[in-house]
Amino acid sequence: MKIAVLIKQVPGSDSAFRASENELWIEEMQIQYEMNESDAYALEEALLIKEAQGSGEVVVVCMGPSARVSKVLREALAKGADRAIHIVEEDPLETDPYQIANILSESIKSESFDLILSGLQSVDLGMGQTGVLLGTMLGMPTATLVIATEISGDKIKVKRELESGWFQWVGLPLPACLSIQSGINTPRYPSLKGIMGAKKKEIKTINKGDVQLRDSLQMVNRIYSMQRDKKTEFIEGEPDSQVSRLMDILRSEVKVLGA
Amino acid sequence: MHFSIIEQVALLVFIALSLGSFLYELWKRIFIVFKGTGSFPFDRLWERWFRFFREVILQEKVIRERFLPGLMHALVFWGFMAFGVITLDHFARGFNGKILGETAYSVYSWVAIPFSILVIIGIVYLAFRRFVLRPKVLGKISITSGIVAIFIALLMGTYLLTELDLPHQIEKVNWWGHTFFILAFLFLIPRSKHLHLVLAPINIFFRPFTIPSHDAVEIDMDASEEELDSMLTGLTKMSRNQALDIFSCVECGRCTDVCPANRGGGILDPKHHFILDLKEPMLSTSDVDVLGQINVEAGWECTACQSCTDICPVGNHVEKSDEIRRHQVLLEGQVPQEYQKVFRNLQESGNTEGAFQSPLAEDLPVYTSDKEYALWLGCFARYGLDPDFEHSVRSFTKILEEAGVSYGVLSQEMCCGDPANRLGDKLTYQMLMDQNKEELQDVKKITSLCPHCVVNLDQEYRKYGEVPYKVEHHTQVISDIIESGKIRVEQGSNEKLTYHDPCNLSRSLNEVDAPRKVLNASSSGFFDMEESGRRTLCCGAGGGLWWKKESKGRTHLVRAQQVVDSGAETVATGCNFCFGMMKQGLGPLTPDNQKEIQVKDIADIVAENLVNN
Amino acid sequence: MGILVILEQKENSIHRMSLEAVAGAQDMADKMNMEISALLMGADVSPYVEKAQGLELKEVIVAQHELLNEYSCDGFSEIVRQVIEKESPNYVVMAHTYMVRDFLPRVSALSGVPFVPDVVSFQVTDGKPVFTKQMFNSKLGSDIVVNGAQGGLISFQSAAYQAESVRKGDAPVRDIEISLTPDQIRSVSEAPFQESSGGVDLTSAEVLVSVGRGIGEESKIPMAKALADAIGAELAASRPVVDSGWLPPFRQIGSSGQNVSPKLYFSVGISGAIQHVVGMKGSQNIIAINKDPEAPIFEIADYAVVGDLHEIIPRLTEALQEQ
Repeated sequence: MKIAVLIKQVPGSDSAFRASENELWIEEMQIQYEMNESDAYALEEALLIKEAQGSGEVVVVCMGPSARVSKVLREALAKGADRAIHIVEEDPLETDPYQIANILSESIKSESFDLILSGLQSVDLGMGQTGVLLGTMLGMPTATLVIATEISGDKIKVKRELESGWFQWVGLPLPACLSIQSGINTPRYPSLKGIMGAKKKEIKTINKGDVQLRDSLQMVNRIYSMQRDKKTEFIEGEPDSQVSRLMDILRSEVKVLGA
Repeated sequence: MHFSIIEQVALLVFIALSLGSFLYELWKRIFIVFKGTGSFPFDRLWERWFRFFREVILQEKVIRERFLPGLMHALVFWGFMAFGVITLDHFARGFNGKILGETAYSVYSWVAIPFSILVIIGIVYLAFRRFVLRPKVLGKISITSGIVAIFIALLMGTYLLTELDLPHQIEKVNWWGHTFFILAFLFLIPRSKHLHLVLAPINIFFRPFTIPSHDAVEIDMDASEEELDSMLTGLTKMSRNQALDIFSCVECGRCTDVCPANRGGGILDPKHHFILDLKEPMLSTSDVDVLGQINVEAGWECTACQSCTDICPVGNHVEKSDEIRRHQVLLEGQVPQEYQKVFRNLQESGNTEGAFQSPLAEDLPVYTSDKEYALWLGCFARYGLDPDFEHSVRSFTKILEEAGVSYGVLSQEMCCGDPANRLGDKLTYQMLMDQNKEELQDVKKITSLCPHCVVNLDQEYRKYGEVPYKVEHHTQVISDIIESGKIRVEQGSNEKLTYHDPCNLSRSLNEVDAPRKVLNASSSGFFDMEESGRRTLCCGAGGGLWWKKESKGRTHLVRAQQVVDSGAETVATGCNFCFGMMKQGLGPLTPDNQKEIQVKDIADIVAENLVNN
Repeated sequence: MGILVILEQKENSIHRMSLEAVAGAQDMADKMNMEISALLMGADVSPYVEKAQGLELKEVIVAQHELLNEYSCDGFSEIVRQVIEKESPNYVVMAHTYMVRDFLPRVSALSGVPFVPDVVSFQVTDGKPVFTKQMFNSKLGSDIVVNGAQGGLISFQSAAYQAESVRKGDAPVRDIEISLTPDQIRSVSEAPFQESSGGVDLTSAEVLVSVGRGIGEESKIPMAKALADAIGAELAASRPVVDSGWLPPFRQIGSSGQNVSPKLYFSVGISGAIQHVVGMKGSQNIIAINKDPEAPIFEIADYAVVGDLHEIIPRLTEALQEQ
């Protein structure tokens, strides 16, 4: 079974994010880059499926700058992926998910994957669509918020997370494209053997320019801090008046009353 | 008494069978031990003999750690020693010979009779403790122990009977009885924990001097696949010393008694998880490749405090979390997610927090080669794992400045690697160590407030190769400074002050005096709490557990409770992790009507009581 | 054509978040001088038509087909694609629900229209429509523009707009012809079911009510739970509460517990020690109740309520329940 895993290298979610000078990206100094969290779960799921099947190939696909992407590719290979495809993209980075999915589609369509897994959404842009877009472009059925998979023959059953603690099993024919939710499994750590073995595994590079066939459909114009200078509002007085103020806050300012 | 030829032949056969069986079983185990890696250490020979004398002959550890049972055991042991010659004489008589003449024998009886009575007292007490009182750590009722206890009692009994004037027939029966019990005992010894009779003295002799004494795990990233495979397969093999440990274990349970994880409600039981559970696999495979079978969940609970190793009376290096964790990390790739994050942070930014700058480090003088000490801060202080500790660092720098001792902070200080080392990621550890060794090439003296850093820089790094520097813990530096008169301190603090000994400082570095000297010089209200000094109970942060999420037990609360119970108003520590853990643990445990107990580093207390010149 | 709002149904009523989307669409329509139509799709949407007609819209479009009796990614995306083809809206607007995240990207790929998700506000700047989305773990904001004439698919974040502010009206209804065959739907769905989750995932909760030592004793925990229930929040705790055994370890927030950044972190009786704060300081909004005005938690709180939580919590819970 040939499985592709889409991974993205993103700034660590605990980083102190600051908009860059030109307001088109973030200040990259002092940012530790890592594999996007839900992508790590997707990779682990792919490895588990391959191990359960007893045979097959797991290929990781990643788009990003050459200076830093090799790290997450090596990490994925060290964990057990068989080879990697690196689409080289330098600054400025693409932000349109449609464009990204198109580039990915052009890069991998010749491989005829049986299953494509991606993380649900990335910590940086959080558009949450690349997997479904890619699957559709390749003519595959798609499903998101997957928290369990079950393969039988040429079909796959997935457990989808619905709102409010509800779940649903959905069956799809293969080939299919799934967006994986964090928590589906327990991602492994690369063993020493894996780390050493990764050095010999293939990383194929593709230039973004060679596979980018069209213009982007949407773009991020500006990135800025959500202007909320932390001014602590002290609410004192009688409990009744405090509660009244709190209700206002919950309703109109924080806006959590409603769902 | 006279023995016929038939009796002598019978005696010879019984001896041969019993002794043969004993030697065969013993040999089987020794054979396994010698399959272990490495070799037995013969360094510091005089120290080894001296330690042997104290721990084996004088039974010092056995008595000290559990006084009454220990004393009773010592009596039984000394009795055995005393009976050596008599036993040989006993068998000689079976062949109508003798070793001791009339006078020698009666002189000997002056020793042997009192001893046999003491042994009976000892064994009766121990049997009472084991079968009636039944302390939990001794485990299930052991038939073998019961049989052995009866044998020993009867051996003494049959001996005492020989001192009486018995009719010939009874004398003979008594003699054969005594012989039977000895030969049966001999048969049982190698098949039970009583093998410690033979192996414990040897094990104690060969015990390593450093604690912990895990071997270095050298990883060559440029090695060939075969070399790597062979290194990895070697990871699960015990060393000879470790294998000898398993067969020397006397199942007393002292290790589990002192285990902080066990006391805190975790599942870790060092006696079983680290020692006894490995015996069966070793015997059934007749090999030492069993380290991968250590209970994984228990292994992750260990705080690497080495209390179990330190207290073992038969010289076992009990703790084996290092072995199973490195197995999980390097071989299996199965690591709790929070530790994976720590490893990644160490690999990416060279510190446990993934941080990029340290305001504290930037605010302190830079180290240059003309300065006396390089002040090693450690990740805890550098990146504010508890922001209040910065005050303690400043207290120490104030003392140094007051004393005119020059110091500076290194511009490039990677994590010493302790979390990676203790959590099993030897690869990341090596990377950090190599970088630090580069940075420290021209450094002569290092001081640090973190005992974890000191142990790694000083002891652990040396396992991988010589280092040019010497390391002193800050309490040692302060103690020297006070002693040399470079500063003056007065006993200004009069609140009830106690000290929690950090495991790394008291056990690994064997330093319990310097902190006390310093505290007594600065305070009139200092007192020792329970389980202090080398016996200190771990605060719960060691072994990488500072970064642990969600655990079954609440290890840190056990020691904090002891601090509350001690009645102290202030608790001093000599370690930043202990500092942080105490702060977290004391809050919920202090009764509502009691003032919150202050937590201070030793440097804080000294700085508060400096006398200005 | 203008703006097309697609209304989801929930529990025999129009989904509240869809009404919020209508409010958002009305905002867009006002600023760009466009008209709004609403789409109801399903096997039988007659129970919802009247409610939809009561909104200020140009018209309500009804697309019915028996194969739409339950949600399927293929089915819904194909129908929406057809509607877009027939009606040529400039913008298709929905609420950012799990369902929308599942099928709207597929619509985007099929129709070549970009999908701008999880929008929190909308402006027209220099004549161009600009959509604001949170990025980088919700720490930064971004302005997104769509290129070209193909318009956009937009989903609004929950509570970006208020359902109450939707303008009412009297809209006509029109059926639209759609086609769908069984072989176009490749998925086979089983019935949805509920699972009682023992280990709650605090990191995905939108609102957390977190309890600290100030709660006083174990018997007061239900009071905090009642508040959490009233507000629709999950219950969390600081380390001392877990250490005392009042709440299980999986509810612990902090350096040795979970790391959360919910929309609202409501801390009750928590002092704000660093080990706790590192686990929640990324929260978008922090309300803290503590009787000590110097409590460190107030340094990072947006709203600092200085008072007795035993007085405030029951009253607040009551007020919420009356809502």
